[in-house]
Amino acid sequence: MHPTIRLIVRNLTISINPGFLVWQVIFPVIYIFVAGFAYTALIKSVPFGNTTLDYPAFIASGMIGFNIMNSTLVSGIIIWNDRRHGMFEQILVGPFTRTNYILSNVYTIGIVGIISATIITAIGFPLFFKSVQFNVLTIPFLIFASIAGSILFGSIASIISTRMRSSEGFNVIINTVFLFFAFVSTAFYPASGAPEPLATAFYLNPLTYLVDIIRAGIFGTFTEFVMIEMIVLVSIAVVMFIVAIRLLTKLDL
Amino acid sequence: MSGITARSLHKSYGTIPAVDGIDLDVRSGHIFGFLGPNGAGKSTTIKILTTLIPPTSGTIEVLGIDAIKHPLEVRKRIGVVLQQPSYEPNLSVEKSLEKYGMMWDIDRKTRKERSEELIDVFDLNEIRKRKNEDLSIGQRRRVQVAREFMHEMDLLFLDEPTVGLDPTARRNLLDYLKNKVKTGLTIFYTTHVLTEAEYLCDEIAVINKGKILAVDSPNNLKNTFGQEKTITIHLSERHDNLSELLSGITDCIIDFNTGTNITIQSSKSEVVLSQILQILIENNISVEDLSAIPTTLEDIFLKMVKDSNAPNN
Repeated sequence: MHPTIRLIVRNLTISINPGFLVWQVIFPVIYIFVAGFAYTALIKSVPFGNTTLDYPAFIASGMIGFNIMNSTLVSGIIIWNDRRHGMFEQILVGPFTRTNYILSNVYTIGIVGIISATIITAIGFPLFFKSVQFNVLTIPFLIFASIAGSILFGSIASIISTRMRSSEGFNVIINTVFLFFAFVSTAFYPASGAPEPLATAFYLNPLTYLVDIIRAGIFGTFTEFVMIEMIVLVSIAVVMFIVAIRLLTKLDL
Repeated sequence: MSGITARSLHKSYGTIPAVDGIDLDVRSGHIFGFLGPNGAGKSTTIKILTTLIPPTSGTIEVLGIDAIKHPLEVRKRIGVVLQQPSYEPNLSVEKSLEKYGMMWDIDRKTRKERSEELIDVFDLNEIRKRKNEDLSIGQRRRVQVAREFMHEMDLLFLDEPTVGLDPTARRNLLDYLKNKVKTGLTIFYTTHVLTEAEYLCDEIAVINKGKILAVDSPNNLKNTFGQEKTITIHLSERHDNLSELLSGITDCIIDFNTGTNITIQSSKSEVVLSQILQILIENNISVEDLSAIPTTLEDIFLKMVKDSNAPNN
């Protein structure tokens, strides 16, 4: 077996545990079904592109992006735990190169991101079934979003994990950053109707672009703006990925 | 074939030399002890030899492979137990062994057999289902060392592997290592427990301030640097005039302690002892007990380090 694949298997083994599954499945299900229906009384429908979605469909599709982002925390946690528990050095005195280690994390993020997106799509499907507009671009859009989003947020988590020295610092920073991404975005509520500064802040957040792309794929609302969002998302992902790789390559031993 | 050959190895952090031009020759199939005080350069040397960090200058051959040009080839043939703990917190002991074997591309059947054998050898049966994060420091260390034997290797680096182990586990490990060496394994071993080094190692190097102070077998080191013996004479009753009686004896340091105990340190202990006994007999002073303690490796180590720390060094 190729060294990178061995490390991916190892990454998945140490990451996938009951706590992680609860985090990845139960938490989004609660959001989709409880918050989705509870807020329906307040938010009847949400305009999106050239269509209108009911709120449960809106939040279910938003949760796919939210879950991709959450799942990529795995990457930061793996790197952080490896550094904290001595496995980073142990792996690098084994039959592996730094490239194997870095690639294994990238692939792990991708795998977890795609699985995560698939699970939430399946769970949320009954809710956006009515509005779904399957076409030739739906699946490519979802795959694109899963990969670009995973790499972007996985890189951010990796960058944080390489820079932090204490557990407290790591937890505070990663929670703060990801809390901002989660709630200052269009994953849970639409930008339209939000106060102007907040609506602007939504578009300083890559999660907004990610969920917009996912919704465009599911609901068939491909616009020029979505194309721009795709370019922005990929650009940020590339920059973050390069920074993460550089930091991982230079990580002190 | 030589296990390790290093020449003029240097490693500096800024202007501070951590390893300062050391030469090493580790023979294949032997246990090589690497001793030194904290911060002497032991761990940095291990990190260089295991290809974790590059040297600033110098050459290294590990198992006949140029370790600077072909680090991965070296790493495929060595095992390393680093000084710091390394573990997967949420894996059980048996799963840790199994997954570590998988990382080394060991087939499933062999992994199963080896992990069972190691669980038995390292006395891990009672804790095999426990997660690493729930283990004591000593238990975790045992798992860390055991894990390294999941894969085949020609050379094993052990950086203070017995830290945290109880005496039984420690002796168990040392005996296991001795047996492994009989099958052809070469071991590079660092420790602060000098009795351990004496028990285990065929050859010992002492390092301080990044420089090798001496390399030889434990016995030769003792013969070369430890001719001094400590003799203790216990008298049956107190004598206040001992200092006066023994004042003519040279080539030794005498401590009269309480007046009933005399401690003598001398590199000519046989001569000095016969002179002292003669004086005691002439003065009707009876001796209740007498013991001679040869210099230990620890004495030699302390002396070497102290000498090398002296201002003119």
